[in-house]
Amino acid sequence: MWLQLTWRARACVGLSLLATSAAAESPAPAPVVERAALQATTYSDSDHVIVFTPVASGEIDDRQERWNVRGQYLVDTISAASVDIVSTASSHWRETRQAGTLEGSYKPRSVGAKVSGAFSSEPDYLSFAGGALLTWDFADKNETLLLGYSLDHDTIGRAHTPFSVFSHRLWQHDLNVGVTITLSRTAILSLLGDVMVERGDQSKPYRYIPMFDALVARGIERGEAIDSVNAKRLPERPLEQLPLSRERYALTARFGYRLAHATLRADERVYADSWRLFASTSDLRLYLDVSKRTTLGPHFRVHAQNSVYFWRRAYVSNFEANNAWQLPRYRTGDRELGPLVTVGTGFGARVGIGPEREPSAFTLVMQGDLAASDFLDDLYLTSRLAGFVTVGIEGAFE
Amino acid sequence: MRLGIRSAIVCLLLLSGCAHVAPYERGRLAHPTMRMTELAEPAEVHVYSVHEGAAGGTVGASSGCGCN
Repeated sequence: MWLQLTWRARACVGLSLLATSAAAESPAPAPVVERAALQATTYSDSDHVIVFTPVASGEIDDRQERWNVRGQYLVDTISAASVDIVSTASSHWRETRQAGTLEGSYKPRSVGAKVSGAFSSEPDYLSFAGGALLTWDFADKNETLLLGYSLDHDTIGRAHTPFSVFSHRLWQHDLNVGVTITLSRTAILSLLGDVMVERGDQSKPYRYIPMFDALVARGIERGEAIDSVNAKRLPERPLEQLPLSRERYALTARFGYRLAHATLRADERVYADSWRLFASTSDLRLYLDVSKRTTLGPHFRVHAQNSVYFWRRAYVSNFEANNAWQLPRYRTGDRELGPLVTVGTGFGARVGIGPEREPSAFTLVMQGDLAASDFLDDLYLTSRLAGFVTVGIEGAFE
Repeated sequence: MRLGIRSAIVCLLLLSGCAHVAPYERGRLAHPTMRMTELAEPAEVHVYSVHEGAAGGTVGASSGCGCN
């Protein structure tokens, strides 16, 4: 048979044998891929808050994507002289927070499971969380159902005071139900519903609320300065007091559309809670593959919300006949519970700096963001401009 | 109860209206940016979670905010 082949056929067969031999000698791909990343973010805003956050993360993936283990550790170094701190005659404030997450997932076939745990620790706040998530692919993996639950326990205290002497407890339950639908060869839609139940006192033990006489309160203007507030307020200044329970609901839609060299991603979240806070958050991202090594990503975000039902720009306190002040049952100075609009935009870049055959073996990550908030009914502040920059490097090892 | 039935009907309509995409047709869907998870960097997610009064839309455990 060999003798009957033409010289071209013999060459082809010979080359095939050589290729087979070479393939047999080359090492088999590693069964796992290890990834590691280092990132650092610097945040600064017009309310004199500066945060520096280095983040280290690692991940081990089964090459066939059956299982995955991932961990992350970060340190927040916060330096603040914000208007809320200055208004309570407190000095410049520094704090360090450590936080970590660990999660593992396993998906042998169409059903997958993920468990995760997280902690966060700072001198006056300690938090632990754990969660589980189940996914089920069906319709030939065109649709995926998701069911998740997580539990978070927070201990809220005061710096330099043991939690055993003073602390509030807060429990948070989070139930997630979702479905991801393949719409076409280029489009995916995901719908996710969250029900979050919070029980406990999440009032901030440093947040003092100025009180006003009813007549004076009417004249307090949006963004009223600290000196003016101090001149007009009543002598007593109680601590913040929030309701002891909260039910929160969110519905999130995510849409992804893949072009030949770009991805468009649009997210919309609508939110409501039992404190009568309603919010809408829209997030739009574009990822452009400008070369084999470089992806650029502009993004844009708008968040708008009303206030919780007990929000007041100026709380009123009445002096009663028995020489006691009658305080409003619930009171807050938390700007994120008031009416606000935040517009954010940013630009990210990922540049593969690995070897030619695998540029993404090492990737440089760079991102810069600006977020402008307009506080529609607050004391002290009417707006805040925040900027943050992230740089990092990621590596994949086999 | 009525809301649940309506939601189920909407979900069924959504699912039945989708094209069936075979595995060999999912090349573009496999791109990393087509994952239906949070794509923002961790720091960005954290900043917005502190700046906004709303929550949700991310799954899995989270913990603490460092914002008190």
